[in-house]
Amino acid sequence: MFDFFKSKKGLLPDIQIQEAVRLENQGVKEQSWRSRKLKTSLKENLTTLHFILADCHDVVFREFDFAQLPDIRLALIYVDGLADKIQVSNFIMRSLSLEVPPALPKEYKITKAQAFDFIRNRGLCIHQIGETDTLGGIIDAVMSGDTVLLVDGHAKAIINSARGWEARSIEDSKTEAVVRGPRESFVETLRTNTSLLRRRIKNPALKIEIRSIGKITRTDVAITYIKGVVYPDLVAEVKERLSRIEIDAVLESGYLEELIDDNPLSPFCTINHTDRVDKVAAMLLEGRVAILTDGTPYVLTVPTLFSEIIQSPEDYYQRYFFYSLIRLIRIVTLIIFLIAPASYVALLTFHQEMLPTALLLSIAGQREAVPFPALVEVLIMDLTFEILREAGIRMPQPIGQAVSIVGAIVIGEASVRAGLVAPATVIVVALTGIASFTFCYSGTLPLRLIKFLLTMIAAFTGLIGLICSLIILITHLASLRSFGIPFLYPVMPLSPAELKDVVVRAPRWALLTRPHLLGKENLHRMKAGLKPKPPGKRK
Amino acid sequence: MKKKLFLVLIFLLITVNISGCWSRKELNEIAIILGTGVDYTKDNKIQLTYQLVRPAAFGGGGMGGGPGGGATMNQNITWVVSATGDTVFDAQRRLSQQISRHLYLGHNVVLILSEKLCRHGVLDVINFFHRQPLSRGTVWVMATPQEAKKVLESHSELQMTSAQAVGFLARLRTGYVLRFRDFSQDLASKGTNPVLTRVELKRLGVTQGPGLEKAHHHQEVVLTGTAIFKGDKLIGWLNCPETQGLRWLKGKVDRMGIIVPSPIYSGKKISLEVMKGKTKVEPIYQKGKIKFYLSTEAEVDLIEEQGEEDFTRPEIIKTLESTAAIEIKQRVKTTLDKVQGEYKVDSFGFGEAFHRKYKREWSKLKNRWDEEFATAQVYLMVKVKLRDTGMQGRRASLKR
Repeated sequence: MFDFFKSKKGLLPDIQIQEAVRLENQGVKEQSWRSRKLKTSLKENLTTLHFILADCHDVVFREFDFAQLPDIRLALIYVDGLADKIQVSNFIMRSLSLEVPPALPKEYKITKAQAFDFIRNRGLCIHQIGETDTLGGIIDAVMSGDTVLLVDGHAKAIINSARGWEARSIEDSKTEAVVRGPRESFVETLRTNTSLLRRRIKNPALKIEIRSIGKITRTDVAITYIKGVVYPDLVAEVKERLSRIEIDAVLESGYLEELIDDNPLSPFCTINHTDRVDKVAAMLLEGRVAILTDGTPYVLTVPTLFSEIIQSPEDYYQRYFFYSLIRLIRIVTLIIFLIAPASYVALLTFHQEMLPTALLLSIAGQREAVPFPALVEVLIMDLTFEILREAGIRMPQPIGQAVSIVGAIVIGEASVRAGLVAPATVIVVALTGIASFTFCYSGTLPLRLIKFLLTMIAAFTGLIGLICSLIILITHLASLRSFGIPFLYPVMPLSPAELKDVVVRAPRWALLTRPHLLGKENLHRMKAGLKPKPPGKRK
Repeated sequence: MKKKLFLVLIFLLITVNISGCWSRKELNEIAIILGTGVDYTKDNKIQLTYQLVRPAAFGGGGMGGGPGGGATMNQNITWVVSATGDTVFDAQRRLSQQISRHLYLGHNVVLILSEKLCRHGVLDVINFFHRQPLSRGTVWVMATPQEAKKVLESHSELQMTSAQAVGFLARLRTGYVLRFRDFSQDLASKGTNPVLTRVELKRLGVTQGPGLEKAHHHQEVVLTGTAIFKGDKLIGWLNCPETQGLRWLKGKVDRMGIIVPSPIYSGKKISLEVMKGKTKVEPIYQKGKIKFYLSTEAEVDLIEEQGEEDFTRPEIIKTLESTAAIEIKQRVKTTLDKVQGEYKVDSFGFGEAFHRKYKREWSKLKNRWDEEFATAQVYLMVKVKLRDTGMQGRRASLKR
C-alpha cells in the first residue's frame, strides 16, 4: 500500500491546483480548489486528490477493477478509522469487484458510459449514497468519514455513507444528575445526538438543520427546533447569528456561545447548555432552539432565562408537592449563596446591633482569638473552598473526591483549632459552598464571582453598600436579553401566571401553556381540564 | 459603556459616603455593654456603671469550647466598671480612657437608675441615652433602691449575665415593665407621670451541686415592684401586689395570678390565672368635677381549688366570677388609694384619656393635673369570665 502511494506521489496535478494548495498551505488563500470540477480521467483525479491529501497517512486510496467491465478502473477513498471497514470491504468492494448481480442475464453488457449509473443503481449495497462532482465535495465527504468511489471515465463520484468510528457510548449525565428520570446524555457524535433527540420527538416537525462552521475544523453544527412551536423569527435570528461566524475552529459549543451571545460584557451567560437529552427535548417543546455541535455533548439552548438556574428536569418527573418545596428551597439557597458571606461580614463589622445579643456574644467569643478582620477571615475560607473545589475537578478521578472531602474537613477543622478562623465563619462559608451545588454547575459561575465582589463591598460599605450592589445587580440582570427575551422573565417583566413553573412547580394538569414569550406560536400544551377526577364526576 | 461604568463607580463611591458606615469596628474591637447603671454620688456627681461582657468567656474557638448555658464557677464573664463625672458623657469619657476597646451600647439590655438619682430627677441623665445613636429605645429602664453599681455587680444562675437575666424577667412581664421609649413618652406627657420597674439584688435560693455541701447563698437580681414618679422625680414605691393593681389600672394585664377565697367553703382558697384583661377608662367632667369610670374585663383560668366546688354547674361559676371581680376590685383600690391618695399623682395615664375626650377643658387643667386628679372620683366595674377549668370539671379526688 505504502509503495503504491509513493509511486503516485511523483506525479503532479495541473498547475492551478498546485498553486491553490500551495497558497492554502501558506495561509494566503483558502481552499480555492474546492469548487473545481472533477476530470473524467481517474488517474488525473487521483493525482489531484493525492496532492491535496499529501501527508495524510490516515487516508486510504484503493484502486480495483470493476467485475462487470474489467477495463473500468474504480477507486475508493476513505479515512482509515472513520469509515466502517467491514461495510467498505463487504458491500462496496466485494459487490463491485467480484459479484455479478444475480438477476442480471448473462448476455447483458454494459457500456463504459453506463457504468456510473449501473454502479450507483445496482452495484452498491450501501444504505445511503450521494453524488458529487467537485473536489470540495469529495474532500468533505472523506473527512467526515464517508467513502468516496471514483469511476474511471466519469467526472462524478459516489459518496457512500459507511461511517463507523470509535465513539464513547451513551452514559449518565455527568453534570446534571437526577434520581428519577432518563439517564442518557448526549455524546460527542452529532449523529448520535440528533438520533437521541429524534427518538424523543418522533415528529416531522422536529427540524434538524446542519451546517458546518470553522474554516479548518469544518465542525457540523445542527440547528434544531420544532416547527409550529418555535417562533420563526427566533430560528431566523439563530441562523443569522451563526452564519456571521467566521472562525478557524469550533472545538466545543462554548466557542459558538461566546460568539452569538447577546451580552458579551456581562458576567452572566445568557445561553444555557446541557448534556441532558430530556432537558433539550423539553426546551424544544417550550419553543426554544437547540444548537448541537459535533464533538461535544453540550448542547446550547436559546433563549435562556435566569429562572432556568432553579429548574431541574427532575422537578417535572417527581410529584409536584415536594418539588414545589424544592423550588422554594432553591430560591432561598440562591439568596444564601449570593449574600450569606457578604451579610455576615457586614453584620460583624458594622451592624453588630442587628444580631440577637446571645448570638453576638457567641460569635464575639469565637472571634476573640482570631487575628484577622472578618473580611480576611471569610476570604481565606472562601478561597480555600474554591481551591479545594477546583482541585476536586482537576484531580484524577479516583483520588479526586476523597482528597477534596478530606481536604475540606482537615483544613476547616485545623484552621478553627489553630484559631485562624472562627467556627461561625466556617459554617457560613461551608453553607455557601454547599449551596452552590444545588444549581446546575455552570449557572452558578457568575454568581460565584459576584459573591466575592459582594463580600468585599459589604466589608467596606456595610449593609447599605450591599443593598445598593444588589440593586445594581438586579438592574443589570433586568437589562439582559437572551435572543430578545428578557433574562428575568417571567419575574421581570412580571407574568404572574407563569410563576407557577418558577416559584413552585404546578401539577402537570395545570401547566397548560408554554411560556408566553417563547411559545406564542403555539401556546397550548394540552387540553384543559385534564385533572384526574373520579368516574362519576367525569363529563 | 464607559459612561455606564463611570456611573456605577460614582454610585459606589456615594454609597461609601452616605452609608454612615465609616465607623467600621471589628467585633474584637468593641466592648459590649449589657447593663448600664447610673448613680448619684454624695458629692452630687454622676456615677456611670457599665456591665461589660468578656467575650473570651463565651466559648472561644480554639480555646477548648466554652460554657453552654449558665455561668460556670470561677469564671469572670462580666466586668463591671464605673466612673464618676459631671455628666454621663463625662463619666463615660473617663471610662473609655481606661478601657482598651470601644464602648458599644448597641446591645445594652437594661438601664438601672438609683433611687438617689431618681429622687434628684432623671432628666439630668437620660438625654445622653436619647442622643446616642446606638442606645436603643428598647432598653428596659428600671429604678433601684440600692446602688445601681451594686445591682450590676452580680451574676445570674441561669443566664450568662445578670443584665440578660433582668431582660428575660422583663420579657416575661413579671411586674410592670417598660422600655426606654415608653419611659421617655411618659416623661414628656402631661397626662401621666412615669413609673419605673423596681429592681433589686436579693438573696434568692442556694446553689447546690456535688462537692458543694456548704450551701452557697446566691444573690440574684429580681423585680420587686414599681417606682412612682412625679414629673422626673421619684416620690415613692409600690410593692408587688400594688404593682398588680397598677397593671390593672394601666390595662396591661396578661398572665397574672389571683387568689380568691372560695365562695362556698370558708377558709378555702381558689387560684385563678388571668389570661386576658383589659381596662377601659371613661372620664366624665361635670360641673368642675372629674369622674373616671373604669370598666375592666378579665378572662381567667381556674388553676386550683382547695374546696370541692363543682365547676360543671353554671351557678357556681357565676359565684366564682363575682368573687374574683371583688378581689380584683380590691387590688385596684389598694393601688389607687396609695397612688392617688398618698402620692397624689396620676401614674395611670388617666389624664391622657381625659385629654382625648375633653380637649378644650384639658388646656385649662393640664398644668395642675395631678392636683385635679387627686380629688377625682374613680368608679370601678369589673367583669370576670371563667374561661377554662383546666383538665377537670369536678375534683377527681372527690369522694362520692
